Parts: sequence; C-alpha cells; structure tokens
Amino acid sequence: MVTLVQVVVSGLLLGGVYALLAGGLTLIFGVMRVINLAHGEFLMLGAYASFFLFARLGLNPILSLFLSMPLMFGVGWIAQRVLISRVVRAPLLTSLLLTYGVSLALTGGAQATFTNDFRSVPFLSGALNIGELAFSVPRLVACVTALVLTGAAQFFLSRTRWGKALRATAQSADVALACGIDIDRARMIAFGIATALAGAAGTLTSFLYTVYPEMGKTFMLKAFAVIVLGGMGSFPGAFLGALVLGVIESTASYVTTTQIAEAVIYITLLAMLLLRPQGFFGVKEA
Amino acid sequence: MNTRTRRSILAGAPAAFGLAGLILSACGGDAGESAAPAAPSTGGAAKGAPVKIGASVSTTGSNGKTGQYQVEAYQLWAEQINARGGLLGRPVEMVILDDQSDPTVGTKLYEKLINEDKVDLVLGPYSSGVTQAVSTVTEKYKYPMLSAGASASDIWKRNYKYVFGVYSVAESYFYGVIDLAKKNGLKTIAIINEDTVFPKATAAGTAEYARKEGFRIVFQEQYPTKVTDLSSLITKLKAAKPEVLVGGSYQPDSVLITRQAKELDLNVKMLAFSVGAAMPEFGEGLGKDADFIFGPSMWEPSLKTKGNSEFEASYKKKWNRDPDYHSATGFAGGQILEAAVLKAKSLDREKIREALSTLETDTVLPGKYKVDDTGTQLSHIPVVIQWQGKDKPVIGPDAMATAKPKFPMPEWKGR
Repeated sequence: MVTLVQVVVSGLLLGGVYALLAGGLTLIFGVMRVINLAHGEFLMLGAYASFFLFARLGLNPILSLFLSMPLMFGVGWIAQRVLISRVVRAPLLTSLLLTYGVSLALTGGAQATFTNDFRSVPFLSGALNIGELAFSVPRLVACVTALVLTGAAQFFLSRTRWGKALRATAQSADVALACGIDIDRARMIAFGIATALAGAAGTLTSFLYTVYPEMGKTFMLKAFAVIVLGGMGSFPGAFLGALVLGVIESTASYVTTTQIAEAVIYITLLAMLLLRPQGFFGVKEA
Repeated sequence: MNTRTRRSILAGAPAAFGLAGLILSACGGDAGESAAPAAPSTGGAAKGAPVKIGASVSTTGSNGKTGQYQVEAYQLWAEQINARGGLLGRPVEMVILDDQSDPTVGTKLYEKLINEDKVDLVLGPYSSGVTQAVSTVTEKYKYPMLSAGASASDIWKRNYKYVFGVYSVAESYFYGVIDLAKKNGLKTIAIINEDTVFPKATAAGTAEYARKEGFRIVFQEQYPTKVTDLSSLITKLKAAKPEVLVGGSYQPDSVLITRQAKELDLNVKMLAFSVGAAMPEFGEGLGKDADFIFGPSMWEPSLKTKGNSEFEASYKKKWNRDPDYHSATGFAGGQILEAAVLKAKSLDREKIREALSTLETDTVLPGKYKVDDTGTQLSHIPVVIQWQGKDKPVIGPDAMATAKPKFPMPEWKGR
C-alpha cells in the first residue's frame, strides 16, 4: 500500500512538469491553431539559460526564472512576429513544416554553440521522508513551481483584460478583430507566454535531468499525449491531462516495466482519440 | 461557410497531433550527412596521393558527446602519422562523417564512404548498435574494420571476417566490480539496463558472471532509451533490497539513476555504471553524489602503457581538453590499423585483413591487441575506477591500481 502511494506521488510530481510544457503548447494551439513542433526546443533553450546562469554566476535555478522567463517571452514574441504570424491562417501542414524547421534550426544551433556535452545542474537533491514515503526534493520543488506558474497563467487568461483578448482571439479571430481587439498583439502575447512557460519547464528539467541540445524531443512526445488527454486548446485540460499521464506512466512502470509503460502511454492516447477525441475538457464540435 | 471550414480543421486536429508525434519520432535522424571537418594535415615527408581513411562517428544525437572523443582521436592519429611521414610514405586523409547516433544513417554513410568517396580503408563508428549495423556494409565490400568504439560480443557472433575488436567485449565490463563485491562478502545483485545493444550485452554478461560467482540476482529490468523518470523502477529496486546495483547505461541515464536513488533513498553497498561513470561529466553533474560509484574503464590517463603519457599530452595540446577512454580506444584503432598496414606492407585490404587476424601489438590501451578467429578482442584488460572526491582513480586490477577502493557506499541520509 505504501509503495502504491509512493508510485502515485511520484507520478503526480512528474505530471507537474509535463503540465508546464503542455500548457504552453495547448495555448498556442488554442489561440492560433498552430501546432508548435519547436516547443521542445524552447524548453531546451530555457534549460541552457538556467545551466549557464548556474554554472557561471552560481544563480539558483528557481531565481533564474525571473531572468529567463522574460527573456523567453521575448524570444516567443519575436518568433511569432517574424515567423509564425505568416502561417496562422495557412493550412495546418504549413505551420507544421515551419515549426519543424525552427525546431531543427534551434537544435543544430545549440549543437554548434553549446556543443553536445551533457550538462547537469547539481542543485537540490535527496528526499523528504515522511514515514515510509520518500518525496523527491527536486521534483517536489519543480512540481510546486510548475503549479504556481500554471496557476498564474490561468489567472492571466481568465481574469485580465489581455487574457480575455487572448481567449476572444481563440474563439473567433474575426469577431475579436471586429470588436477592436488587436489580434496580432494578442497572438504575440500568447506565443510569448507559451515560450516563457516552455523555458520555465526547461529550467525545472535542468536540475532533474541532463541538459543537451536534443533534450526537447524527449519531452515533446509526452506533451502531445498530455494535450490529447486534456483536450486540445484547453489550458486546465492540459493540467489535468499532465497529472493523469504522470500517474499512468509511473503506475504502469511499477506494475509492469518502464519499457511497457511507454507503450501504455500511447495506447491510452489512441484510446482517448477513439473514444473521446475532444479530451477531458475539449469542447465537442457538433 | 466559414464555420464549416473551422469545424473541419478542428476535426482534423487530433489526427494532426498524431502526425506531429510521428514526425518527431521518425525524423530523429534521417536528415543525412553533416560532414565533420576532416583533417588533412600536411606534414613530414609524406608524398604522393593521400591514403583516404573513412569513418562515420556519432557526433550529434544521443551519443554525440562520446563520439566526439573518438573523432578527435582519429584526427590526432592522422596528424601524428603524417608528421611521421605518412602511411607507407603517403599522407593520410581522414574522411569523417556524422551518423547522428542512428544505425540506419550509419549504414548509408559507410556505403557512401566506400562507393562515392572511394576511401582506401575504414575505421569503425561509435556505439555497438551502429557498429553492428555498419559492419554488414563493410563485410559486403570486404573492408576490414577495427571496431574502435564498440564492444557488444554479438558483433563477432555472425562469422564475419572483416570486423576486429579493439577492446574487451561488453559482457566482461563488470567482471572487476563483481570480483570486488565477492571479495567483500556480498551476495545479492540487481541489474538494470537501457534496452539497446551495448547495455543489453553488458547486463547479460554481468548476470551470467554474477551467477557463476555465486550471487543471487534479486532484480533485473530494462528501461527505454531517453527515459526521463525511473522512480517506479527505483521503488521496485528498493523492495528487492540488493547489495550491489549495476547499471548498463550511458551518461544521461546513469546520472538520472543516481539522482533518483538518492531522492527515493535507495541504499546499496556498491553502485556501478558502464560508460557514464567513467566520463568526467559524471562527477561534474553529480558533485559529491558521484562519490563511491564504480565504473569500468577501457583506459585511464594514469596507466603506464606504451606511449600513453605522450598520447595524453598531445591530445590535450590539440583539443584543449582531457582525453576520455573513448579517445584512447579511437587512437588505439588508428595505431592497430597502422601496425597492420606495416605488417601487410601494402594497402591491399585482403592482406590487411590477414595481418589484423594474426597481429599482436601494443597500443595506449592496457593489455595488448590480439584477436581470436572470430575477431573478438582477447588481450585487452579493462580497469575499474571509483569516484573519490573530484578524482576517479583506478582501484583494480591490483597491478594497475592507483588507490584503494572505498567500501561500502554509505547511506544517502548520513552523507
């Protein structure tokens, strides 16, 4: 029983980080109908930002978020303005190809600039023991940070003027435009926030995992699964989907093996697509 | 009209996400050949048309980091042989490509090296998976190949005639660690490994040897490559209570296992990893948590092998960083090829193959180069290192040890 609780706790902690990554991805899709294949590379950039700030200046990765998130917001803003805005209304394949190109360019650029060295941030380690249960300290910190950031983003989307503009743009760009909303700016804000969230996820993974130019791809497959579970374009859905996926992954790894757990994730994904393609929170299109 | 368009876009969206996933997984590495800079360094008295030696090594992708060491060693070797007057009096020109850690790309690149670049000789790629795949190509074209970056014994179980081992087979990597565990009276062992060619071979060999030495295997499991969370596996390990934990692993997973073992308070008396633990980055990434961890190494700078200190010094000078054991195996591959060409007195590949199968020579690696009928390396001697503070001294075998092993590994809580 204790071990089962342990496994579920580990899964929830894992899900927190997935939520942060998937949240940004789903936001972009919601507002622009663009599937951003370069999202994992933004995670990688965030991870490198934290690594260098830690290695060179000894900056605490959590504190480095205050520097890296505005920076990544800027990166996203520019990417939207220069590149993505050109394909927003184009067929889905066009934006897939564009963002895949961006993904390749960023990976290659990182290989050339940062080399293929494996980097790690030796920040936080060990366990918080409560009775028989062991809570991983770094994962706990990562999960709580992810919760705070996801909550802040949700607050922004639901309560602020620009948040409402974003949601209006997501619902119908034409009507939003007719109502006087600057949809170009709304899209740049959306992409900026999403990129900042991906960067933050990168910061959190930098001290959980190894930092290298191709790390983004590893997490992207999970992020896609999360979004399908949660409902495409739904921010709260991504959050719930991430936690569910984390628990499914850790439970399946415990009951079977880590290898089979990978398959279980994709079987869940397929089942969801077949039985409830709109996900937990997606609106059913009638 | 407008609503209808939107609806159909949305209906297609789930499929598009699936497509996106497919693209991501499929495009891992078919993008082709980014040619790494070859080093046609000119020097000494070498004259005439260059001898082209081709190799494709992973310098990007999951093994890019390790492969880079091998490439640097090949280039250093080429530079030195040219300074000495070349191979049979002709300058050596290296043609080095990047297979992106993908066996399929590797096979294409060796086809290209042989058919388009028309190289005279080849040297091996990095990693057992890629080597196993590309050896089918080199075998087909009868190009003798020194496996300077691979050691899974399956490579030599196919009756191939043109592939030769440079260092010990993967199966024997942990013999030294198990001997040490036995000496300390330990009885139970757990083995986990990544599910790719080399870690699988390491795990299988370790399990067989451990059983033979009277150990009880209390847990054994594999995990997929690029794994990001092993907490469930560690939870199971905790319940199995092994005294020794051996990981058939590369760098990212060995760091992940160590971190999560600490996070979930899994304590063992001996912890050992292949590949990852012998790399300098292991200690940098883990800090003090790397202490007490063992790892097999095919070479260390402290060894008194022939030409070792010169190799280390010239490597540092050329590349401005310390060589890793993968640099040494790469360099040894070049040294052996050179010895074989000298023995054959020709660039005739059949004669070189003959020479490689009977040759016995010293390299910078501990032991000698000597292979059996299948091409399996017999005389190389792997050493065992242990992280102690910021160093990783050799702790076995006794004749080469520079420090005493620290045993047992203390519990995480008290550290």
